[in-house]
Amino acid sequence: MSSSSPAIRYPSSVGKVSSEIRYLFVRGLKQSMRPTAAMLPSLFMPAFFFIINSAAFAALTKLPGFSSGSYLVFYAPVALLMAIFFSSGDAGIDLVVDITSGYLDKLMIAPIHHISIVIGKLLAVGLRAAVQTSIVMAIILLAGGRMATGFTGFLIILLLGALFGMAWSAIGMSIALLTRNQRATQSSFILFFPFTFITTSQLPLNLLHGWYRTAVQINPVTYVLEALRSLTSVGWQWDVIGRGFVVALVTGVVTISWAMTSFRRSYP
Amino acid sequence: MVSSIIEVLDLVRRYGEVTAVDGISFSVAEGDFFGFLGPNGAGKTTTMRILATLLKKTSGAVRVAGFDVEREPDGVRRAIGFAMQDVSLDSLASGYENLQLLGVLYGLTPRQARARAEELVEMVGLGKVADRWVNSYSGGMRRRLDLAGTLMHHPRLLFLDEPTQGLDPQARRTIWDYLRRLNAEGTTVFLTTHHMEEADILCRNLAFIEHGKIVQQGTPVELKAEMGGDLITLQFQPDVAMAPVERALISALGQDTSVQVLGHSDVHVSGEPLRNYEHDPYAQRVMPDADSIVRSPLSADGRQITLCARHAAALAPRLIRELDAIQVAPLSLSISQPSLEDVFVKLVGRSIMDDDSQLVKGRDPFVEGRR
Repeated sequence: MSSSSPAIRYPSSVGKVSSEIRYLFVRGLKQSMRPTAAMLPSLFMPAFFFIINSAAFAALTKLPGFSSGSYLVFYAPVALLMAIFFSSGDAGIDLVVDITSGYLDKLMIAPIHHISIVIGKLLAVGLRAAVQTSIVMAIILLAGGRMATGFTGFLIILLLGALFGMAWSAIGMSIALLTRNQRATQSSFILFFPFTFITTSQLPLNLLHGWYRTAVQINPVTYVLEALRSLTSVGWQWDVIGRGFVVALVTGVVTISWAMTSFRRSYP
Repeated sequence: MVSSIIEVLDLVRRYGEVTAVDGISFSVAEGDFFGFLGPNGAGKTTTMRILATLLKKTSGAVRVAGFDVEREPDGVRRAIGFAMQDVSLDSLASGYENLQLLGVLYGLTPRQARARAEELVEMVGLGKVADRWVNSYSGGMRRRLDLAGTLMHHPRLLFLDEPTQGLDPQARRTIWDYLRRLNAEGTTVFLTTHHMEEADILCRNLAFIEHGKIVQQGTPVELKAEMGGDLITLQFQPDVAMAPVERALISALGQDTSVQVLGHSDVHVSGEPLRNYEHDPYAQRVMPDADSIVRSPLSADGRQITLCARHAAALAPRLIRELDAIQVAPLSLSISQPSLEDVFVKLVGRSIMDDDSQLVKGRDPFVEGRR
């Protein structure tokens, strides 16, 4: 029944960790992109909001102080932001399925570094975010949008999308680890609404007033959105783009640390 | 002398106020087929998860495959495979993908992992479907694939938590065949089950666990010898009044220390309680010189009496004569060897199938899915 045991190699730490991450990354990618049809809603939503809102609010550009001549061009980065949110929002659900099915236990008793499990999953989320961002970018261009910073800017958008996607996914993963409950994890989806809409998604900052303006300025997502807007619609504003990356990075450090802490707490 | 692959000394695991594992000690020899038996919530799974490095112990010493489970978990992990109670597979991946991932995580090269996966899917009879996504598999097929996954790295020790739960009899027998073959080839198997027939058929050594304590250990033959004889089961027509029958038998056999009345008719059915059933309707001492031995009534209407006797064949005609004297004819009389279930009931006072898991669920955070 069984052949003689092959020589199982246990290579040095660095090589071992990198191959573990690679295998778990591929597994995470398959898990999050199968079946392909299940990805459609997460593409449909950004495309839907983009097409509907850019048509519905087209007249807003006539407001005094509105800097962009086309609302479609102004609104395009919101569609990209939604693509990032929707692609990374499933990570918590995937993880809670692994927890409740016992699959995570199976990984935990494999002789691997546990950090590889988290990093592999995060990288898979990052790539999926970049892929979905590309698809939504194509839809934007087909609908008459533009790419103000060209192909280089597009690559930077993918990088920012992957980075912020990983940061956002870590929230769902933390909730999955802390609650081990699918409904609780799924409910983290509602965070999408305030973080997306209490931003400069509808109007530029100079047209916002009062508490709403303050809330928009506090919301870190505003800075990621502005960086995306600079890259798609305005042009190279290095300070805006840099701020977006710093905010995405800091958010990532906070949320991923939370996920790692939750992981260690759940699996001491 | 055969060395021990599992050594457990005074193992304790508490969840807050609840002690799930209460100071157990045991060892398992390399090559053994060891069964850990007990009802739901007895501490089986908790113990197994500690042995498999998935759960921290509260106190005690545990060595598996020569490694301390908490100080050297990687050594333990390389030596073991663990088929958990719930099959855990990537359902949106093929059988091969599932196995190959486990193989490479255990240090096989992708080529070795593919070769091993091909060998194992043939072994478990899934060669024709191994390229399909697992979500198209039946429960039995998933269980077999899950078992194959635990074998990818040729573990020395295989942990199986209720490996045939929910399977039909044929699928169950298929799994039993694999396990016997694996064990014959040298893999030590540690099995938890509350399926007594499974334990009897497969295991060379057994431990009964109840409320976190080991209540008895031994081979199936040794454990059954605890009963002190064979079982005689008498069944009666539904219209027979059981109280006089019990009185007649107990008075006739009351001085015979080689006979023990194990189970009896359901008093609620016969309507006339013979004894005080305040604490346990089945755990009654019915003979002055015998241990309290109990057995759940097997017939739904309770028209049944079970006795344990050292000379069952010789006793049978005497029972018929006693019944004849009160003008009762039994529907049937059968003599059988005691099962492990009978031994468990004798030791613990209730059936292993009595499901008190609801009670335990409220107390045991692990059962609720928390660790």
